[in-house]
Amino acid sequence: MSSTPFASEVFEVLDAAEANELYQRNGWTDGLPIVPPTEDAVARFLAAAKLDAANVIGVEPVRRRSITAEKVAIAAVMAGCLPEYLPVVVAIMKAMCQPEYALHGSTASTGGSAPFIVVNGPVRLALGMNATHNVLANGSRANATIGRSVRLILLNVLGGIPGQLDRSTLGHPGKFTFCVAEDEEDSPWLPLSVERGVAAGASAVTAMQVESPHQIMNEWTHDPKEILDTYAAAMRSNLLTYSIWEGNYAFVIPRQHREIFAAAGWSKQNIRDYVFEVAHVKRSDWRTVGKAAIAGRKDEDKIYRALRSPDDLLVIAAGGPAGGFGAILPPWYGKKSLAVTMPLTT
Amino acid sequence: MTLRVLNPTQSAHGEVLRMAPPLASLNGAVVGMIDNAKIGTKQLFDFIEEILRKEHGVRECIRRRKPDATRPVPKPMLMEMSGADAVLAATGD
Repeated sequence: MSSTPFASEVFEVLDAAEANELYQRNGWTDGLPIVPPTEDAVARFLAAAKLDAANVIGVEPVRRRSITAEKVAIAAVMAGCLPEYLPVVVAIMKAMCQPEYALHGSTASTGGSAPFIVVNGPVRLALGMNATHNVLANGSRANATIGRSVRLILLNVLGGIPGQLDRSTLGHPGKFTFCVAEDEEDSPWLPLSVERGVAAGASAVTAMQVESPHQIMNEWTHDPKEILDTYAAAMRSNLLTYSIWEGNYAFVIPRQHREIFAAAGWSKQNIRDYVFEVAHVKRSDWRTVGKAAIAGRKDEDKIYRALRSPDDLLVIAAGGPAGGFGAILPPWYGKKSLAVTMPLTT
Repeated sequence: MTLRVLNPTQSAHGEVLRMAPPLASLNGAVVGMIDNAKIGTKQLFDFIEEILRKEHGVRECIRRRKPDATRPVPKPMLMEMSGADAVLAATGD
């Protein structure tokens, strides 16, 4: 220990390799190697975001964790971010600390969900974020390391350690990192952030707690309704095989499908309105998927919708240019956690 | 030349919490039971309450149900629990 402008304990190590081994040994990583969060690096990151180390970004009330800018910057350095990424990570944590996000419950749950992050606005281009090929996976440093920063914060600041606070039965690969940019330049639609109240031209993030993405494919029609019937079938499958509870769902719609909607003059709102009507199951349908034991506990003719209203559906333009694919992202636990959009402040 | 690296972990703010000392006996005790809205909790707590009363002489069980498993206990509910000698805070799955 020695004097430091930071509240965090300081360790002296020989080099980056020894730092990595120290953090691995202490369980401070997701298992992948880390970049050493030196005092200098953390100071550079905070300066880039115009933040003081002691600034409180958000509070998780159940475990009484004040998430300081210092700890967020440490995680961002460890994850491999560049300093200019930090305002995005900060905005994500602010979003996830809003009460409607239910940060503790979604982190601790056996349901094993992950924060899914969508970035909008000029910051996407400034940071070189990926919105096209392989968008839900590896594609750019910014996507990968911003998403990873969130996991390291959940791990180290909230104590979301598997088997301890994180009680996930399975989890999914998005828990390592799950961050995309929307392809605003190649989309006929309003950006997600603008639809959710952020001024056009401003940068923002949207965080949503999701289960693993389900990829769909339909390249045998130009009818927008038929395309959406395929997406809705995946939602019905989720209602039956995973969770019947209504809440936020997200669609990731690549260009080939977007062109069909554009040709038909369909906006995101048209998509939401149609999906709201068709994405539902009847309680008795549970009998067809091995859940007869609970189907009869209530009125089996009762209809369960995937969405409480059309606004529950988040439509995101992203993905490679070719292929009749798309993805649905189901909610962790219905409306227990809601998507939150947060503008960047620096 | 060495590297000076920072601890990434964060402990809870506020006073340090400790386990309450165990009761010497449950005989005559008041036990709070917070149903955290997990499926099956009511049946489990019915069963536990019966055991507490019949086999351990518990005088009273204060039973309340949280509106939501994913959020903290509402303050008024916490205040109601303050009169209990021991509290079952939740069930897990």
